[in-house]
Amino acid sequence: MKILMKPIEMIAWFNCDGLLRPIRFRVDGEVIRVEQVCHITEEKLAGNKMKIYRCQSEIEGQLRPFELKYEVQTSRWFLFKM
Amino acid sequence: MSGQRYIFHIDVNSAYLSWEAAYRLQQGEALDLRTVPSVVGGDQASRHGIVLAKSIPAKKFNIKTGETLFSAKMKYPGLLVVPPHYELYRQCSEAMVTILQEYSPLVQRFSVDECFIDFSGMEWVAGDPVAAAYTIKDRIKDELGFTVNVGVSVNKLLAKMASELKKPDKVHTIFPEEIPQKMWPLPVEELFMVGRATSKKLYSRGIRTIGELAKANPEWLKLFLKSHGLLIWNYANGIDYSPVQPQGALEMKGIGNSTTLSFDLDDRESAQRVLLSLAETVGTRLRQAGMQGRVVSVSCRTHEFYDYSHQRKLLNPTDCTKEIWETACELFDEMWQNEPLRHMGLRVTEFSQNDLIQTALFTKSYDKQRKLDRTLDAIRVKYGPHTIYRSSFLHSGLRALTGGVIENEEYPLMTSLL
Repeated sequence: MKILMKPIEMIAWFNCDGLLRPIRFRVDGEVIRVEQVCHITEEKLAGNKMKIYRCQSEIEGQLRPFELKYEVQTSRWFLFKM
Repeated sequence: MSGQRYIFHIDVNSAYLSWEAAYRLQQGEALDLRTVPSVVGGDQASRHGIVLAKSIPAKKFNIKTGETLFSAKMKYPGLLVVPPHYELYRQCSEAMVTILQEYSPLVQRFSVDECFIDFSGMEWVAGDPVAAAYTIKDRIKDELGFTVNVGVSVNKLLAKMASELKKPDKVHTIFPEEIPQKMWPLPVEELFMVGRATSKKLYSRGIRTIGELAKANPEWLKLFLKSHGLLIWNYANGIDYSPVQPQGALEMKGIGNSTTLSFDLDDRESAQRVLLSLAETVGTRLRQAGMQGRVVSVSCRTHEFYDYSHQRKLLNPTDCTKEIWETACELFDEMWQNEPLRHMGLRVTEFSQNDLIQTALFTKSYDKQRKLDRTLDAIRVKYGPHTIYRSSFLHSGLRALTGGVIENEEYPLMTSLL
């Protein structure tokens, strides 16, 4: 995986407990469905809270892992690594 | 209870730069600013072009905090300069304090990048003080992504001296029995409160190290340094009883703002406008704090970096923007000799509460102005600080409100009071 840190458009699901799940996103015009979230971690580097989602999906016939980042303060999503 | 006092001093290593680097790494930047010669520097175009913080590789080129970016670039032309983001620094400082509060209820913010914590009695909860200091240091590094130095000792002065020993990412102790080996061999200017002026006086009298100062006769020091001599003699011997004061414990003594102008001011009218824009922010801060001040002072710096100031006591305390401004203008007219100015400051001191007001028979009434101030404050709080301003600033090229890198600072960016 390479660090990309690309801002992305995201459709996500918030449940009643405040749990946040990415569903699918668009990057460079291509839509990717998040098939599996493997684990979620949190970081607060420089006091800036971010949730990191380690996910995997089938992209062009290949199962590929990737990481998404959600910046709590600005509500922005990033494709962190792929 | 052991009754032993333990004080920690936590100091962020090259704070602004570390914070900037940690944030950039989080945002996916590949380069760590801390590994290359880099500085955080102000905007050169608006003449704030000085080095605010430097990386350790930049230090190797003898680049100093406070020098101009121009001279820093002369020392190393490939120097990386990044602009400051004060909001980010506050956020980092906030996050650090949150971690520290898990280790003691007594946390004092000494400045934006330094904290004292009183660990006395906490060893029963959090374990051995030195081990706890290592935990704090490592947690801040892992969770927040920047490094700190922790000094451990029995009072604030020794803790501060300890955290300054070797950087970065270290824990040091200076317990009283360690003073002769760890503190006394250091040059005297390394001691807290010994600056350029004092060290010059001490050097000329043959005192070069902290140890020599500690062994000097305090009465003799008092002869040429007055009470300050006694203070630094105590500090050199590791004597300090100041308590760790949580936020808000320190009484406010004055409110002031200043600004470095983006061009040299040489006409009276513009100078008065700058004073007005400073009076606006100073007045608002006074009213927010519920205070009134009786002394107004104005300071100026000329284009040749010569400083002077002038102050006056009013008949009655005030928090009225217009009254502060009018006094400031009088002061300015009395001292200004038509030389170009690059920096102006306005300060109000000698406080009293603003719930009861002593009125005077023979001075101008500012009742209407005070009402106007209240209304302006309310509008600015609700709709933003720049929604309403005085028309004299239209097309003047000057800002209607100036002063302060972040509004409503609750802790000082810098202080010399332990």
